[in-house]
Amino acid sequence: MDFLLLLLASGLVSGAAYGLIAMGFALIFKSTGVVNFAQGELVMLTAYISFTLYSTFDLSFFPLMLVTIPISMAIGLVLERLFIRPMLGEPIFAIVMVTVGLAVVLRGITIMAWGPDPFNFNAGIPTRVVTLGGVPFYPAQLYLIGALGVLTAAGWAFLRFSRMGIAMRAVAANETAALLVGISVSRIHAIAWMLSAAIASIAGVLFAANFKLAPDLWFQGLRAFPAVILGGMDSVIGSAVAGLVIGVIENLFQGYVGQGLREISGFIVIIIVLMVRPFGLFGSKDIERV
Amino acid sequence: MRTGHFKERTAQLVALSDSKVVWSFAGLLLALVLAAPFLIGNYQVTLLVSAMIAIVGAVGLNMLTGTTGLISLGQAGFLAVGAYTNAILMMDYGWPVWLSMPAAGVVSALVSLLVGVPSLRLKGLYLAITTLAFAFIINHVILYAEWLTHGPNGIFVSGAKVFGVDLQRGKALYYMTFGITVVVVFAALNIQRSRVGRAWMAIRDHDIAARVMGVDLLRYKLYAFMVSSFIVGIAGALISLQIRFVNIDVFALILSIEALAIIILGGLGSIAGAILGAIFLSLLPEAIRLFFDAFADTNSSFYTTYVYEIRGITYGIVIIAFLRLKPEGLIGLWRDVRKYWSNWPLAY
Repeated sequence: MDFLLLLLASGLVSGAAYGLIAMGFALIFKSTGVVNFAQGELVMLTAYISFTLYSTFDLSFFPLMLVTIPISMAIGLVLERLFIRPMLGEPIFAIVMVTVGLAVVLRGITIMAWGPDPFNFNAGIPTRVVTLGGVPFYPAQLYLIGALGVLTAAGWAFLRFSRMGIAMRAVAANETAALLVGISVSRIHAIAWMLSAAIASIAGVLFAANFKLAPDLWFQGLRAFPAVILGGMDSVIGSAVAGLVIGVIENLFQGYVGQGLREISGFIVIIIVLMVRPFGLFGSKDIERV
Repeated sequence: MRTGHFKERTAQLVALSDSKVVWSFAGLLLALVLAAPFLIGNYQVTLLVSAMIAIVGAVGLNMLTGTTGLISLGQAGFLAVGAYTNAILMMDYGWPVWLSMPAAGVVSALVSLLVGVPSLRLKGLYLAITTLAFAFIINHVILYAEWLTHGPNGIFVSGAKVFGVDLQRGKALYYMTFGITVVVVFAALNIQRSRVGRAWMAIRDHDIAARVMGVDLLRYKLYAFMVSSFIVGIAGALISLQIRFVNIDVFALILSIEALAIIILGGLGSIAGAILGAIFLSLLPEAIRLFFDAFADTNSSFYTTYVYEIRGITYGIVIIAFLRLKPEGLIGLWRDVRKYWSNWPLAY
């Protein structure tokens, strides 16, 4: 029983990281129709920047995020302006391949700037163990799960009530119609990239605080794909929930089936999900007209 | 004055090329490549072999992604299947190389059914991610099925002999790779202008319209998966022969991206483009090295520590630059040059 609880707890922690990264994917996909393959690299880059800020100014967690998030948003905006905006009107496949190219470039630059060795980075979060319901947690783990909860709620409220969120949904539903009623589609795209970069930075810092800050952090972006698919690529809230589901599934597989299955259990799950529901669990089904 | 090149009969449309000039240039090129090992050094021969293997792989991927429009990020997985099949059959089961290489293609094609069947309902990006998932699963199986694949230890590949000639050495490897490349390219050219090739293009352009015209989507998509991964599997077998050691690190994700980069910068859907792209991208690392030789120190710790990152950044920049500036790829550039040449002094 204790073993199961432990597995569930650590599953929720890694699942929360997946959920955060997946939210970033979904936000960009929802408003621009592009899968941003550079999301994992964005997570890595912003985490490293935050690390540098932390080691120079020795900030505690919340002030650190207050500085990191605007910087990340600026990076997201710059990337969108420089690389994605000029591709507007090109086929989706071309834009997606640009993000793939962007991913390798960002990864290379980050590794060259900060070096190949891993760092310990606690992001100014206390390290005293807290026990909740008989399960010991590090505060960083609770911060991660908490961040997912807060961001999911904020994301839901933003898309549901705010003017900009509604405009974003309108763009997602029909770009041309949105343009016709006076929504600046290009601005919505830029905002989507900025918000996505902000979420990426939160995910990156908290992931690094929980595990470590190493040059293979970008790989978490790919590891989060099962969550993106399971939630449906255009569902921001769905992908957050799916992240938790995938994290728990991975840990249960590892605990009860086999050591090595952790890395691929998520991918096996999505292949099965896609066979049954090609648009994910929460994704909206496209109706095609000839 | 000639106003353009017009095709007046069906035979001209169907022919691989109706121009004597094209054929004679192709013959000249073949003769040059045949004579190359006697003209250039061993190192350059090795480079050419890598480029030709890249051509085989790119032509295979091009069939799936360029002609049929099914985006695959699982190229590394199929290459790994081909390389490992060849290595295991040769080293553990003692098969001769002329049997194990086709077997590598066949196994790769069969494995592609595993990803092909679940992907039939998927389109575009969902398919890309599924193939990516598939590449992960393959890597994982190779790493953990130690009784078959020797897991993380990898397999040394040696003793590929036919009639006493070691096919893994210098000229023998070169000519074998060359032969396979020519066969694959001609096969691909011919498949593209057959019924199957036209069906693939119809699926790429609009799958619902293709279905309405009577193209059996299920069957032709599976054909595309199988033919493509057969060729890619052979490319994998060639890789295992050339580098003499297969290990899971050889088939990392970057290889799938490299493969996509090749066909994008060559020009999607074009076989000549795939060839140009493969040559360009396999010589690119060399160009980077020469660049560093000329302007910086190749032995400097910066270069040696970050050689993969530098290469990755260059690939990324090349992909982005081509998509941005010349989406038709190298073959589009070539067409522009040709048009300019034949229409000169008129601009259009």
